[in-house]
Amino acid sequence: MGELLRVTAAIARKDLKVEWRTKTAFVSSLVFAVLVLAVLYFARDKTSVGDYDLAPGALWVTFTFAGMLGLNRAFLLERENRALDGLRLTPTTPTALFLGKVVGNLVFLGVVELVSLPLFILFYDVPIWRQLPVLLGVVALATVGYVAVGTLLSAMVVRTRFSEVMLPVLLLPFLVPPIVSAVQLTWRILALRPLSEMTGWLSLLAAFDLIFFTLSLLLFEAILVE
Amino acid sequence: MAAEGPAVQVDNVSRRFGHRWVVRGVSMDVVPGEALMLVGGNGAGKTTLLRLMAGLLKPNRGTIRYSGAVGMVAHHTMMYDALTARENLTFFGRLHGLPQDGRVDRLIDLLGLTRARDQRIATYSRGMLQRLAIARALLHEPDVLLLDEPLTGLDDAASHTVLDVIDELKHRGAALVIASHQLVELIGAVARVGYMVAGRLAALEPIAGLDAGGVVSRYRELVAGDG
Repeated sequence: MGELLRVTAAIARKDLKVEWRTKTAFVSSLVFAVLVLAVLYFARDKTSVGDYDLAPGALWVTFTFAGMLGLNRAFLLERENRALDGLRLTPTTPTALFLGKVVGNLVFLGVVELVSLPLFILFYDVPIWRQLPVLLGVVALATVGYVAVGTLLSAMVVRTRFSEVMLPVLLLPFLVPPIVSAVQLTWRILALRPLSEMTGWLSLLAAFDLIFFTLSLLLFEAILVE
Repeated sequence: MAAEGPAVQVDNVSRRFGHRWVVRGVSMDVVPGEALMLVGGNGAGKTTLLRLMAGLLKPNRGTIRYSGAVGMVAHHTMMYDALTARENLTFFGRLHGLPQDGRVDRLIDLLGLTRARDQRIATYSRGMLQRLAIARALLHEPDVLLLDEPLTGLDDAASHTVLDVIDELKHRGAALVIASHQLVELIGAVARVGYMVAGRLAALEPIAGLDAGGVVSRYRELVAGDG
């Protein structure tokens, strides 16, 4: 277990160090997030679409697509100089590699989300400070499932010629349940609805995380070998 | 390191990509302390055979057995451009579970990269990358080392360093399989030559006093015999 954690941490740290040096995915994700939030804000008719109606969808569209840029980068990095072969020549288990990638992606997406959230509050004028811990909990829950499936599919498409295009095509259908749940939950949080109205969506989100995290972990080895 | 028996045993291994068989029924053993060279034209199956031996590809038929750890130097560095030489080696050392006992710096010094060790490897020349790739492959002191064109991009001094490393590894009891076109430089370092023709190991013979020209003649003979 200690070995697994040590290798997982080494892989995540390496991914984040490379990203810190290049800032390729982070800058693209952040620019994309600002752009989407601004475009959706200015594109609507304020007299017919209120802030609270638009805000949850805008937030999750932003997170979903901004995160995609980071997920794409996660395994493209391993394609560079065939670094993945270098990893496979070490005693690193597929489980440790998957977990390392997931942790790296979670930190990456977490930072993008934390930077985007104040912009969201600024644009949509939603007073969420008191509900912030609950909203952050929902964001965390949705992000875990998203990143688990995204990491698996990113590894799957990286050997294809158009991996940047293939990832969204394959990933988006899987994201319908968590993103719909997250949008519904965000709307209820912003509208100060009671917790009892949220338990169904929360359960769906938690079940998605559990099932897809486990499946992704189990399938990763098969994808890794050729 | 196993005291007896081959360090690596390849038994009737075949591999295809799509419908094309790239390696066909190859069998060979390499014993500890022995260096074997694979020669053959482009597309003869040398790189694929090395990748099979490294476990990076699965054979469609046959088996490969090792005793001990395997290291490989390939056409690519298998490292990250955004990291420095030291960071790359430290990272791979961690994955191998190695102690941080100064071996990274020792290897960097051995391969003549001391002054550039804290530079990102994106700034390295082809020869420097090749030396770093060799350092990565030696990090965990493998019992079987697979080298695909190890002297590519190296100047005379660096080539001599690599040849010294090969000698040192043989003395230590490692088994080496080297695929290369640079026969003149490597011929003195190997005991046997495997001639790859169209995916088959057409012959595996002791070097027996042959020089590079003799190896080329023998190869041509085997290619002609293959039809």
